[in-house]
Amino acid sequence: MNALIEFQQVCKYYYMGDTTVTAADHICFQIYRGEFVAIVGSSGSGKSTCMNIIGCLDVPSEGIYLLNGKDVGQMNKNQLAEIRNELLGFIFQQYNLLPKLNLVENVEVPLMYAGVPKGERRERARAALEQVGLGDKWRHKPMELSGGQQQRVSIARALVGNPSVILADEPTGALDSRTGREVLAMLQDIHRRGNTVVLITHDNSIAVQAQRIIRLEDGHVVYDGPSDAPEAVVVTPRAAGGGGRPA
Amino acid sequence: MSIVESLELAVKNIVSSKVRTVLTMLGIIIGVAAVIVIVGLGNGLEGYVTDSFSDMGTNTLTVTVMSRGSTRSLDVEDMYDIVEENSEYLDLCSPSVAMSGYVKIGSDTVDSTSSLGVSEDYFEIAGVSVAQGRGLQYSDMATRAKVCVIGAYLNQAYFGGNAVGQTLRVGGQSLEIVGVLAQQDEELEEGGSDDCLYLPYTTAERITGEASTYTITMKDENYIDESVAALESSLYAVFASDDYYTVTSMSEMLETMTSMINILVGVLAGIAAISLVVGGIGIMNIMLVSVTERTREIGIRKSLGAKERYIMQQFVIEAAATSALGGIIGILLGDGLSVIASTVIARVMEETLTVSPTLAAVALAFGISVGIGILFGYLPAKKAARLNPIDALHYD
Repeated sequence: MNALIEFQQVCKYYYMGDTTVTAADHICFQIYRGEFVAIVGSSGSGKSTCMNIIGCLDVPSEGIYLLNGKDVGQMNKNQLAEIRNELLGFIFQQYNLLPKLNLVENVEVPLMYAGVPKGERRERARAALEQVGLGDKWRHKPMELSGGQQQRVSIARALVGNPSVILADEPTGALDSRTGREVLAMLQDIHRRGNTVVLITHDNSIAVQAQRIIRLEDGHVVYDGPSDAPEAVVVTPRAAGGGGRPA
Repeated sequence: MSIVESLELAVKNIVSSKVRTVLTMLGIIIGVAAVIVIVGLGNGLEGYVTDSFSDMGTNTLTVTVMSRGSTRSLDVEDMYDIVEENSEYLDLCSPSVAMSGYVKIGSDTVDSTSSLGVSEDYFEIAGVSVAQGRGLQYSDMATRAKVCVIGAYLNQAYFGGNAVGQTLRVGGQSLEIVGVLAQQDEELEEGGSDDCLYLPYTTAERITGEASTYTITMKDENYIDESVAALESSLYAVFASDDYYTVTSMSEMLETMTSMINILVGVLAGIAAISLVVGGIGIMNIMLVSVTERTREIGIRKSLGAKERYIMQQFVIEAAATSALGGIIGILLGDGLSVIASTVIARVMEETLTVSPTLAAVALAFGISVGIGILFGYLPAKKAARLNPIDALHYD
């Protein structure tokens, strides 16, 4: 079986004046269909860079990123936009809903860019809101909802286009621990229904909710393995880098 | 994402910030309204001039001659002969001898009256009828009769409506009033069409000198060029040069006047159109601010799969919709002002000059305002479309 997401020696450099910052340093990993993977790391570890590259918001400086077997690094902006639309569902820390649109209109946005006709769009968006338990609130504006509810809307928006990968960037970061747990439970539920979920977080206690953890430090992968292994949550010394491959 | 969906989004955004939208549109509103009123005013003016000219008859030609020494000159009899020669095209003829002196009635001096020495055919040429007494006759010309026909204004103002049989003086000559013309203007007023006096041209020639201007009617006003050519060739035969006479047709004069009005209106409308450009810059300014304010929205939309051209389309259509809305409001405002202007002109100047905006001007104003929106919305839209989604997502 081919990997859904494959990083081959992916590097990312940022140029700030004269200095070059290496945000990702020859990162390799593969994520398969149906996995629930957490990419963990502290600030500056390169997890945001990984998330941007996986999310096709950015392309690698070096190395190859294959999404569904296609080399994303070779694509132009329009093709990247299409990939984001068709294959990826984003869940952001700040929800990133559009404040002027009501909930169903917010959920419709990816379908609109996919060219789904209006009637079908509305139907599918309502169904997605139903799935996250907000079917009766579809006329509300995002600001009228609690943080947890807003995050559920953004989950509905991520799911509505049936993407191959759900990419969640610190989805509980702005929530209290109880609603955070609810959102995590929802992600686990999405995973159980067969979706591939990639969770990006700095928080070990959240990362362990995933099946597998990829730990990054200073742009390197320092651990890659099941989340229930003892070393998964221990910040390993850099010398131990590389880590194992998934079973 | 279709144009209609972009338009829906644009309308939503416009509605959600009403005050800003109105302020943004102000330049366009003022510009469009100004252009419409000015073009409407020009139209009204043109209509007014055309009406005035057609009152005088567009089938008339005016001939002015100068004498060239003693051998080559043209008197009234010669002119009648020329008209007779060209009877295929020409019909009636009357000399016009303008009198420079004041009209004296009893001890009153009237300086507003236009006094003209004319032939017996003049009233038919000018299309006026005699209301009291009689008109001028051939015998008056032949005998150089000291008679005159006056307009309704003089009759009312100085003779209490019973002028026939009374006398007045023009240029020192005492004249008997034999007729009063029918009223021409809606109201009698000093210096108007009814403040006039006509006497036999022969009598007038004795007072001021030989006639040099003639009013001639054409048989068929569809043959203006042929009529003018026939008249000119006869005149050329007399003078052997074209420097000593001019032939002007009323319709030519009308054309000249109309083109002058059009130039004037064009210049004024052009100045008003500058406001449209200023309005366009206002729209660009606000759209640039809007792009900055909505950076995050753009980032979200891009992360959800919006291609550059969709973002571009959204902003351009929003600018165009704002501008078009301004255009529509401007058109309504312009129409309203035109109605008010017509009323004010009618009240103040006692002339009917209808300020009527043409459909073409309205359509053009609307088209231009949409065009300006697209033109000035393009740059901000380009800026929005080019935003890097990662930076845009993290913009606060």
